[in-house]
Amino acid sequence: MIELTNLTKSFGSFVAVNDVSLSIPSGEFFGFLGPNGAGKTTTIKMMTGLFTPTSGRIAINGFDVEKEPQEAKATFGYIPDHPYLYDKLTGREFIYYMGGLYKMERNDLKENVDRVIDLLELASWIDKKTEDYSQGMRQRVTFASAFVHKPRTIIIDEPMVGLDPRSARIVKDSLKQQAKEGASIFMSTHILEMAEELCDRIAIINKSKIIFLDTRENLHLHKTKYDGNLESVFLELTKEENE
Amino acid sequence: MTFLHILWFKNLMFWKVSSKRDVGMVVRNVGSFIVFGSFAVGSFYFSNFITAYLLENVRIGLFLFHRFIGMLLFVFFVTINLGNMVVSFSTLYRSPEVDFLLTSPVSYLNIFVIKFLDNFFYSSGTLFMVGFSVLLGYGYYFNLPWHFYLLMMFGVLVPFMFLAACIAVIVLLLLMKLASKVNFRLLISGIVLFYISQIYFYFQVSSPVHLVQEVMKYYPYVDLYFGTLDPMAVKILPNFWVSEIMYFYVTNNFTAVTGYTSLLVLSTAGLFIFALAIADAVFYSTWITSLTIKSLTIKSLEFKNSIFSFGKRSFFSPQVEVILKKEFWQFIREPSQWIHFVVMMALLLIFLSSVSSLNIKLETPELKAVVYLVVFIFNIFLINSLALRFGFPMMSLEGNAFWTIRSTPVTAAKVYWIKFTVVVVFLGILSIIISWLSNIPYLYIRKVVGEQPWMYSFIEPSDTVKLLSYSSMIVTPLITITLVSLNFGLGSVYSNFIEKNPIRIASSQGATMTFLLSVVYLVFLLGVYYFPATMLFTAEMKELQPDWRMLKIIFFAIGFPSVVIIAISHTVGIRSLKRDY
Repeated sequence: MIELTNLTKSFGSFVAVNDVSLSIPSGEFFGFLGPNGAGKTTTIKMMTGLFTPTSGRIAINGFDVEKEPQEAKATFGYIPDHPYLYDKLTGREFIYYMGGLYKMERNDLKENVDRVIDLLELASWIDKKTEDYSQGMRQRVTFASAFVHKPRTIIIDEPMVGLDPRSARIVKDSLKQQAKEGASIFMSTHILEMAEELCDRIAIINKSKIIFLDTRENLHLHKTKYDGNLESVFLELTKEENE
Repeated sequence: MTFLHILWFKNLMFWKVSSKRDVGMVVRNVGSFIVFGSFAVGSFYFSNFITAYLLENVRIGLFLFHRFIGMLLFVFFVTINLGNMVVSFSTLYRSPEVDFLLTSPVSYLNIFVIKFLDNFFYSSGTLFMVGFSVLLGYGYYFNLPWHFYLLMMFGVLVPFMFLAACIAVIVLLLLMKLASKVNFRLLISGIVLFYISQIYFYFQVSSPVHLVQEVMKYYPYVDLYFGTLDPMAVKILPNFWVSEIMYFYVTNNFTAVTGYTSLLVLSTAGLFIFALAIADAVFYSTWITSLTIKSLTIKSLEFKNSIFSFGKRSFFSPQVEVILKKEFWQFIREPSQWIHFVVMMALLLIFLSSVSSLNIKLETPELKAVVYLVVFIFNIFLINSLALRFGFPMMSLEGNAFWTIRSTPVTAAKVYWIKFTVVVVFLGILSIIISWLSNIPYLYIRKVVGEQPWMYSFIEPSDTVKLLSYSSMIVTPLITITLVSLNFGLGSVYSNFIEKNPIRIASSQGATMTFLLSVVYLVFLLGVYYFPATMLFTAEMKELQPDWRMLKIIFFAIGFPSVVIIAISHTVGIRSLKRDY
């Protein structure tokens, strides 16, 4: 369950996110779309505690991210747009590290580390140092580290950056699996087909404001007004805002 | 032309970054200006005071004074040399800029020169400033003309530092060339041993205590030139040439000044040309070799299935445990960390073995106090160097993976305190050992009872000496906590998550500022300790009972400001971790 209420973030005179309100119930797969610089990453960084909002409120699974940050963070897993890891640790050690930060007890942790390694098919290279990984390998380790504590909510920023088709399929399947198990997923992406395939509801943000918010079914209806293509809807909506 | 083109854009980038005009940057720049300016003024007065004090109060004479300068310059030379070597490895062989330039039509020699100069000026800017302030203080005492400063800065200090950098890069290039044939770990061990043995040899040969005792035999004619006491091995070193230039300048022997200056400048030019020739021949091939040196991790230190393994249980809470283990592995698997650590520990051992075996037979209480304080402050300086080198970069070394801390249920403050505890516990214990070892010559005074030097017994030290020794052993850990706090707090304030090289982080502008603040604190400690030390050694000579109130005064004078520094450092350090990431 994610609640964003009148969320605003300014950097000096520049308003990156302007009065955004969203409510994502448990178990929903939510797509967050928008052109470059629209405010997607800023919104996600506020949700995960990396940025402090200028105003407004964020609650994740009933916990206020500003007032009860530890409780809120314990309930979600985060996959950033750039999968930065500790170069000198192996992938397995990194997942253990993340599990420890989520206060997982040893036996539970070991079991879950093995589970996510299997889920994301990491076994053949997980014991090499991450400095030797490709972008896609790093991305998959980040997914594994976000899933290790079985979060109730998953927040993902651009999940497909640098993934080859097989890795992309593995990641999509793992996300579907998480959703099936009841996790709510908040995903920002540029890949419209992916949003269309996976998401229950979609929001489009442009120039710091939400300009579209509806279900996948209604989006399909919307598409028919154009040429039946989601890309056309996206371009038209963001174009209208630009003009 | 290509060289100038690249240099132009590097300068442009530097000025654009330095001249950013947001509030934070302005505050930082003003702060830096105040700290650097104050330090320059402080260095001037300190150097002027020390010169006057040693020559007028302690009356060590011009010869001894310049030999001490020579010894300090030796330490300075080795520091620049080693620092340049380690940083050159990163800038020449592990830099994305070099990777990029190698794909462009720029000659290998040009790339080498650009990175070498970049490296030299990056790590030497503050040293020039400090050097000039110290020279001003020295020159002002002797009332020297303007051309002294001009000569010293551009004819002596710059060539001296450049010479150290040239030797560093020549050794590095040769090492990398050999690395294609010989095991790299073996080479590193060899070079570390070589440096350690050279430093040990230098201090054995130029024994400062022996020199003082020899010169003092001629008291009061201690301004004379006692060149016959200088061992031949020392005379071929550039630090000796610089101390000779200074000595002969103040004694108006300009023929000797010209001779030594020419020797220094020509040696530097010769070595630079030699470095260019070697780089032209081997830089690219050694860069290729560097790609095959994947890791300098010591395999035997991998500790598979040990308590350091992430899969093993410990009595710590999960968060503390994984953070400690992560820190351990990051340190062990990063060559620039453990190699530098081993070198510093080895140097420390040499220093301690020399200091603990000193046989001090000095006559005047002032001279005794000076020797005592020099050793005391050098101990603190060593601790500060370790805190700066290993403590300051610790938060920055989270790097771009800092998101893991900010987005998980661990507070950045908790991570900060865990890291701080690791450093402060280690350095705290080390400081007690150092303090105890350096007090051995005072607490365990040897008296030869037989015909052989090893036939000796111990004399019970006086209460005054006990008081001084125990007080320094008690305050040293407090001073250590203060210095680690300062380095840690400001290391967080100036955290740079982009830079991966800990040595470059520890020589950044923020680190330099921190170092300067630490030196101000060190000077303050000297001030606090000077009068009690002199009074206690005077009391010892007159066989008077020590004044135990002195101990309380020392504790209060050091304790109060230290606690304030600790509190401020941690407050600003932890607050800075809450910034937007």
